Amino acid sequence: MQCRELDVFFEQEGLAPLSAAARQHLSECPACKHFFDDVTAIVSVAHQLPAELDPPEQIWISIRTELIREGTIRGVSSDRETVPWWQSITELFRNRGWATAAVAMVMILVAFLLTSKPREQVLQVQEDPYLSTVTALSQQEHDVANMQLASTGETSAVDTSLRQNLQQVDEFIADCERRVREVPSDELAREYLTNAYQQKAQLLSAMMDRGGSLN
Amino acid sequence: MSEADAIRLAQAGDAAAFEFLYRLHGRRVYALCLRMVGNPSDAEDLMQEAFLQLFRKIGTFRGESAFSTWLHRMTVNVVLMRLRKKTLPIASLEETTEPDEETGGPRKDIGAPDLLLTGAVDRVNLERSIEKLPPGYRTVFVLHDVQGYEHNEIADIMGCSVGNSKSQLHKARTRLRDLLQEEVREQARNERQIAKTQTGQAD
Repeated sequence: MQCRELDVFFEQEGLAPLSAAARQHLSECPACKHFFDDVTAIVSVAHQLPAELDPPEQIWISIRTELIREGTIRGVSSDRETVPWWQSITELFRNRGWATAAVAMVMILVAFLLTSKPREQVLQVQEDPYLSTVTALSQQEHDVANMQLASTGETSAVDTSLRQNLQQVDEFIADCERRVREVPSDELAREYLTNAYQQKAQLLSAMMDRGGSLN
Repeated sequence: MSEADAIRLAQAGDAAAFEFLYRLHGRRVYALCLRMVGNPSDAEDLMQEAFLQLFRKIGTFRGESAFSTWLHRMTVNVVLMRLRKKTLPIASLEETTEPDEETGGPRKDIGAPDLLLTGAVDRVNLERSIEKLPPGYRTVFVLHDVQGYEHNEIADIMGCSVGNSKSQLHKARTRLRDLLQEEVREQARNERQIAKTQTGQAD
């Protein structure tokens, strides 16, 4: 077997199993042996690379939103007027990962408020428990808006979906706030409102991250 | 729920079935997109586009090929289409290191030291070199050597012959070897430069 024939063999049969003639040639030709060892090393490292990677959860949310909007997913209306607000918010938190993250963030936030604020501020928080969250979200939203103004890049499909989702969450928040104002004792509405704030925080973080990666 | 059940339900517009199929294949598709384009933001866009196309056309899926093959075919098409649009430095799919005219063996750079890559290849420099491959080579290499597809599956995904898939893979590996050798040489040059600078400072 000649070098050219070995090259054809590698092309047609791959690196293994080697024929007797191929093994014989490799034992006699340092250049081909060198090539064989290099490619074997490359393939060996390639096999160690992960074949699966976790995509950001936001992608599924965007796909689902789009499929519902265009009617590919049937039986779920995209018309906000016909869907009770608590069903929509439940859909948003149906994924365990989002729900866990949201609950964890709420707990951290509450723990932070209770441990770091002076007594009089804690009392104020109890009177308006959402004030600091709303203030923080406003600041975050302001930062995102500034970042988008500074960016000159193209708007991608994911960015558009993020904005649409943010708009939906804002609408949920408005519904929840109205409900809490009307019936302050409605615990379920309060829970949904807290979840909606967390959802908004995550969306704004995602937008910040994307802005950071684009600039 | 089995994949077949999910496909049937998704064809009827069932939301849970779509999500099942997404969760079943999403991680693999995302890895493929990420390796093909090299940055998470573009990979997310492409993955979203591929799944949207897939779900819009799921009513036409008749099971002639495996669902994952159908999905990967769609993903590869979406990715290659994007790469063509973006006018990235794309070399011809046939561009490769041809065998040396004289010896018939793999061509070497004249005057360049013949580096042995064994022990010098790691995941980082391999990932970097994969990004530099022409898209056609990159697709076949990632599908075969990273994701573990067989040549007949790759031929189905890429719409080419098995022989063509084998040939592309061989050329991709040969090109990767060149790219990695260049990377190792560059690394050695940098190290020498640093050592030289440090010696100069010590004097």
